[in-house]
Amino acid sequence: MADSVTARTPKRSLRTRAPKQSLGKTILQYKYFYLMVLPVLIWYALFSYAPMYGVTLAFKSFNYSKGILGSPWIGLENFQTLLTDPDFRRAFWNTVIISLMKLVTHFPMPIILAIVLYEFSRTKMKRFFQTILTFPHFISWVVLSGIIINILSKDGIYNQIIMLFGGDPNSPLVDESAFRPVLYITHVWREIGWDSIIYLAALAGINPELFEAAEVDGANRFRRLLNIAWPGLKSTVAVLLILQVGQLLTQGSSFEQIFNLYSSPVYSVADTIDTYIYRTSFTIGSDFGYMTAVGVVKSIISLILLWAANSFAKKMGEEGLY
Amino acid sequence: MLRKKMMTLALCITLLASVLTACGGGNNDKGQAASNGEASPDSSNSTDNPYKDPMTISLGFWDADAEIANIEKDPIAKQVLEKFNITLKPVNMTWDDYTQKIQMWAASGQLPDIFAIDAVGTQYQRKWVEQGVVKALPDLSKYPNLAKYFESPDIKGLGVDGKYYTVPRRMFPSVDWSALDRMVFYRWDLAQKAGITKEPETWEEFEAMLDAIVKSDPEGKHITGLTTTTTKMLGGFFWLYGNPVATSDGSGSDFKWIKEDGKFIPAVFSKNALPALKNMKNMYEKGLIDPDIALVKPAESYDNFVAGKAAALLSGGGFINLNSDMYEKRWKTAYPDKDIMESVKALKPLIGPDGERSHAIFKTYWSESYFSNKVDDKKMDRIMALYDYVLSPEGKDLLTYGIEGVDYKIENGQKVVIEKGSLNEKYPASRFLKNLAAYETSDSYNMDNPTIANEGIRKEAVDYIDWIQNNTKVPEYDIRLTYMSTPTKDKFTVLDHDDLLKIMLSKEPVESYWNSIVNDYKAKGLDKMIEEVNAKAKEQGIE
Repeated sequence: MADSVTARTPKRSLRTRAPKQSLGKTILQYKYFYLMVLPVLIWYALFSYAPMYGVTLAFKSFNYSKGILGSPWIGLENFQTLLTDPDFRRAFWNTVIISLMKLVTHFPMPIILAIVLYEFSRTKMKRFFQTILTFPHFISWVVLSGIIINILSKDGIYNQIIMLFGGDPNSPLVDESAFRPVLYITHVWREIGWDSIIYLAALAGINPELFEAAEVDGANRFRRLLNIAWPGLKSTVAVLLILQVGQLLTQGSSFEQIFNLYSSPVYSVADTIDTYIYRTSFTIGSDFGYMTAVGVVKSIISLILLWAANSFAKKMGEEGLY
Repeated sequence: MLRKKMMTLALCITLLASVLTACGGGNNDKGQAASNGEASPDSSNSTDNPYKDPMTISLGFWDADAEIANIEKDPIAKQVLEKFNITLKPVNMTWDDYTQKIQMWAASGQLPDIFAIDAVGTQYQRKWVEQGVVKALPDLSKYPNLAKYFESPDIKGLGVDGKYYTVPRRMFPSVDWSALDRMVFYRWDLAQKAGITKEPETWEEFEAMLDAIVKSDPEGKHITGLTTTTTKMLGGFFWLYGNPVATSDGSGSDFKWIKEDGKFIPAVFSKNALPALKNMKNMYEKGLIDPDIALVKPAESYDNFVAGKAAALLSGGGFINLNSDMYEKRWKTAYPDKDIMESVKALKPLIGPDGERSHAIFKTYWSESYFSNKVDDKKMDRIMALYDYVLSPEGKDLLTYGIEGVDYKIENGQKVVIEKGSLNEKYPASRFLKNLAAYETSDSYNMDNPTIANEGIRKEAVDYIDWIQNNTKVPEYDIRLTYMSTPTKDKFTVLDHDDLLKIMLSKEPVESYWNSIVNDYKAKGLDKMIEEVNAKAKEQGIE
């Protein structure tokens, strides 16, 4: 009896896990743990894996009356069309450029902010700045875009400042050369505070005695940052980098942000795969099969990027995701 | 025995009297219904009533929730639906999401029984028809008003293999009336303050007026020149400079074809396009067009125009929207002492470089009713009967003018309004029920019609359309080519308003940028589409 009780404890189980024990027996042995995992598995099965049968549409011509499963197969025709579609090519390159540039311009910012805020750790100012900088994250892009459009419009503050210095008023939202920087700046503005929270948590986990000891040893702020704060942050940075790269093509070229800010004069620099799919599916009415093929290509690229980022993280000496 | 016979006789008399009374009652109902302007499909006794079974019909319409909730407050709308024993179940959609929602419903087999969308000529509408998503209309001979409705040329042309799959919402009796659907209103009061004394008739005069207003900025509000309620409207104005057939409704699929150098081409790609584009760009560079025009939103544009921050406004919906969106919602509270029609003028079509006064050219309808293929024949019959009634003279009168003797009376063959209050407030669902079948906005351009409530605006509206019909002519084009289906054309869209906007805001010279846009269209199959259409036109004997 005593043996059976101890056998259920995880510590014991790790030690006693015999390679010969069948999976069924293991499941039976840890049935309550498996039971706890079950809702999550069901959720994934229902909402993440089951809908994936829709991916088959990329190889079909969608027929309204036959549905996804009944629509006729057309092989790689959708993918062939995609290669000759100039609008797709434009959207593809815009997605890559905008996503990578957002990664470059945004990713270091929350880290820097977290370090700066950490330096404020003994003042009330830290809480004040953190609140102010986190706040925009909770406003939707629909509302934020309204504010941004007002700021950048003809009568907005931006143009008033430009005119004050003798420049010609011009809205960057309709200027091909200025639109992307607007995306990067507004993205940083909205997310910097929120994204810095996790780095602040990582910094808070570093033993303060290390800083104090370094201070006693005469290390200046930069030294403390380089030799204590950064090593403490590095693994968090690596994991978040991998996660961000994995979502680069989706969240990097944020649909809501671009959709609410762009207009036809800047399509050439702003139309991403997501906005292209949306616009052509619903306003022009392209074939759903073709649009699914576009989505599949996007997912494949995301997968490659994720693999690359993971390998990079491992080369940095970090663990990576898998 | 005698007593028993007497009792039987009395019973028979009583029964006979009851039957007669019942019949009499039916006749009275019929008479009352007729006096309310109703048709009489239910005039037979209850056992023959084709509508005796109640029926619930789901309806996807803009703001259907609110519109259908209003039926309870509207005795006329209630009366019409009771007549056909119909209960409408709302399936809500908004102006922002209706295209997406309907396409998703179509893909997932969840379409409401009736739904409204502007889809004629789109790829998905063709597929709905081909793949049996929407139900074909039954033989229309049973529905005389509906059958008559399908006689106008551009509605008749919607047939596919001898069947109709949609009831378009007609607005105008002829294409000439589409002048009302892209109108420029300008602030005449500010123009006068800026020293302008003559209403503009040519493009040069219009530009000079805008220039004077912008430069003098009479109210010190940093006034801009021409703005619009939505960028989709742009083609409806700027193509009028010598290339009016290129005007389209913004859907990308209703482009019209003209014959140039011996072959049919979409009018947008005519050699007349370049001068129109240059004229537009010139206006923009001179500061006569709102620099924020690419970012406009309808409500803000109306606000800016009424507030005197824009000298002119390009908008849709003609004088009906001038009355509702501008006068009712904004002007009468902002300027209670100022007559709107003395301060705001409607721009008459300007004399273009070809010496013609051109206006925008669309179809005579906008948006259509479709019926899910899941609707059975019995339900379809009931829907068609409702549409037929709404389109009948009786139905139209009832839903437009209200109840005869209560809201209006007839004097010398003319309707005279008795009800002094707003009929829209008294019968808040009647207009919706009327719009369900057809907009018939042209009916509002009549001094007897109370739809445009402000009499000054109504007078201007009636005069305007009279003037249009006497002073403008519609250039020649063949609507059959717009409706024609060829493999490349079915997938081809011309979103000319996007192109106009790009050219307007680009730093590149007009000609080279336009050439690059045309090359983009060529990469998408423009030349192939032209070939296909010309070949098919030849086959069909279209010259």
